[in-house]
Amino acid sequence: MNKGTNLNLGRVRLSGNQAVARGALEAGVRLATGYPGAPISDLQGSFEQLAGNLRRASPFAIKVGEALDNANYQLTAHWGTTTNEDNAFALALGAVICKGDFKSREFLTEDEWDLVYGDTVFSEDEEKRVPVGSRVMCSFKHLGGNTAADAIRVAVNVVPYTGGLGIASGDDRQGTASQTMQDNKVLFSSHFRIPTFELHSPLTAHQTVKNCYRLFEELGTPFAVIMNYDLSYREVSVDLAMEVDLGANMRQKGFTRDPKHLVTIGPHIRPRENKFHSKLIPLFRKKIGEYFDFLGNKVQQLGERPRTLLLLNGPFREDFQLLRHDPTLKDRLLKKFGGNVAVETTVVFPQPESLYKKLLSKLSIDRIFVFEEGYGRVIYLQLLDLVNRHGLDAKVFDCGIPYEPRIYERFSYIDHILAE
Amino acid sequence: MVALPNRVLQDHDETTFMRPVSNCAGCGDTKVSWSVLEGMKRFNREHELKGKNRYQVVYAADRGCGNLQGYHAYHIVDTIFCMGSGVIVGEGLKESCSEKQIVVTASGDGGYNFNISGFKFAAKNKKWGAITIVYNNYNIRMTGGQIPLEVDFDKEGKAMGFEVLHINPYHVDDNAELFKELMGRYLNKEKTMVVADGVCVVDMAKDTKAVGLNLGHFVKSDECLDLKFKEERERVASEEPEKLKDLPRFKCRLCGIGLRCHALLNNDPTLCFGCGACKQFPCPVGALSFEGPSFADSTRIPELLTMYRV
Ligand code: SF4
Ligand code: SF4
Ligand code: SF4
Repeated sequence: MNKGTNLNLGRVRLSGNQAVARGALEAGVRLATGYPGAPISDLQGSFEQLAGNLRRASPFAIKVGEALDNANYQLTAHWGTTTNEDNAFALALGAVICKGDFKSREFLTEDEWDLVYGDTVFSEDEEKRVPVGSRVMCSFKHLGGNTAADAIRVAVNVVPYTGGLGIASGDDRQGTASQTMQDNKVLFSSHFRIPTFELHSPLTAHQTVKNCYRLFEELGTPFAVIMNYDLSYREVSVDLAMEVDLGANMRQKGFTRDPKHLVTIGPHIRPRENKFHSKLIPLFRKKIGEYFDFLGNKVQQLGERPRTLLLLNGPFREDFQLLRHDPTLKDRLLKKFGGNVAVETTVVFPQPESLYKKLLSKLSIDRIFVFEEGYGRVIYLQLLDLVNRHGLDAKVFDCGIPYEPRIYERFSYIDHILAE
Repeated sequence: MVALPNRVLQDHDETTFMRPVSNCAGCGDTKVSWSVLEGMKRFNREHELKGKNRYQVVYAADRGCGNLQGYHAYHIVDTIFCMGSGVIVGEGLKESCSEKQIVVTASGDGGYNFNISGFKFAAKNKKWGAITIVYNNYNIRMTGGQIPLEVDFDKEGKAMGFEVLHINPYHVDDNAELFKELMGRYLNKEKTMVVADGVCVVDMAKDTKAVGLNLGHFVKSDECLDLKFKEERERVASEEPEKLKDLPRFKCRLCGIGLRCHALLNNDPTLCFGCGACKQFPCPVGALSFEGPSFADSTRIPELLTMYRV
């Protein structure tokens, strides 16, 4: 049941937050939960306006809201009413575990399906279809991840019933409106160990969000997308052409009993945790490698005989676009790094090891420079681990910055990349 | 280089799975579980709903004694996630379950205090009805007898927007009737909080003993199908032992299985905690009764003392 609807809504200004809302709506999200706080309130506010709980005020909400109403799009939003992020997430969890419908496989092989669904009540399905229900988004600011940690960690033990759940985290690594400059990449990737992505542009965020829903719903796992403070608020003008998955939005509702999965008591969760870490994370890693382009990532060679790999994430990736418009920047890059392969990536966790191994062995790369924002150095540590574990002959350099500079600091990401 | 042992997670990690999880005989939690399921059955019967037209309970529980037993013994529990999350997970379930599914949530009084804002959300959410059960053992006794935060369910529940109903967990038949009614009211978007007072018989039995009150025990008359069959088995064992293997081990046991009570399953009144649930259990031949004081009379010890003039 794939009923796509195209909406051409003309020129609109779109913030990073609204771009994430756009991605969720294009994916057919039926329930949006969250708890407000800068810098992400704007995302949940959009859902509230679209769901009719608040007056539609922004041009985005007015245009999109009217179009979705005409398409009979179903949307429920709970924002401040859940009173905190833990409740917002538990509400999302309750909604996502209901699998009243099926869809055919798009991304999984039969064997992979067996691995993901083989011990659920759906294991007897002859066509090995994917059990699905409401797609759900839960969003909060970085600190909300701490409040919701109990429920998010439990969600891992409920895999694959959590497929179709996206988490959006607005990180205030500037400390502009928060008591800490927490790096939530640590929380989502190192602690919860769910597929985690850092978005970089209001122009592309929707595509990553939408495709994450498609891929990770089949894999049965929640995923997280993170924005920094600047991206949450930064606006661009776009020709808003939305491709909404109405089929996903209008799926049949229903709860299917599977207490062995959904009652999280010791005997149930022990094998599940074991499987998650030893079998499912490697599968997520493999699929992220297979669908690297699909998830909005790009690999390009710059210059001849590349011996350097540049890994550009988040705001570094965004500024890297400037190379396209300014040839002097490219010259400076080649002068500093020589011929190189630039991987512009949204992936924070798990890193697609086979892709890097292939690049390293095929191109004799011996230096890897990782540019990421946040004190967790999450990507750097994974690359370091990869090189050590496989005994690869390469050095990994941490070139990130521990926090997001504020505007008055006049920090330039591209200058940081090109600095001598 | 030192070879590290190849650590393999053994299957014996799962030995706990084989351990039957069992609440105490007479535990009030289990009695409420029975009444919810029985209430749903009666609701369907009353509305002559059959097959696909029948309503179903989806039971979102919290962590704790009652729900563990509810899961293992009654297979009523559908979800258990975090402490205090049952009520809000239930609200999420309502968003995505079918119209024929009625979500019932169950928390302990500890879970209620833990996530009172979740209860508030359930009360205020205009989209759905709510049946929220609170197992009230007046304390968080299982975890060490801490002194709890005082709760006035009547005031607090009402202020949130619930109709607060107190039940005696051991009035199993009355409670089944109540839940039958609440299923209909749920569909009518009404909000009820059912406070099951005095669910921990172990704790209450300690208190009754301390004040010198001896609780009574169940009685099965000669009409009991199981007892009759027991006699028949004994006869076959002594007269025709070769036929014994063809006989089932028991005949009825509806009460013991229904109430998940070892005393009934073993036909042994000395194991009876004196909860009094047997008074109301609908035995098909009317063979089950109860003699003496019990928590079915009251879950408040001073009241019991007055009734039995100790
Ligand atoms: S009264 Fe009945 S249910 Fe209660 S403990 Fe005794 S035998 Fe068990
Ligand atoms: S300790 Fe109390 S609450 Fe727990 S199973 Fe026994 S009677 Fe029930
Ligand atoms: S339900 Fe009645 S007949 Fe059956 S075992 Fe119990 S007392 Fe006996």
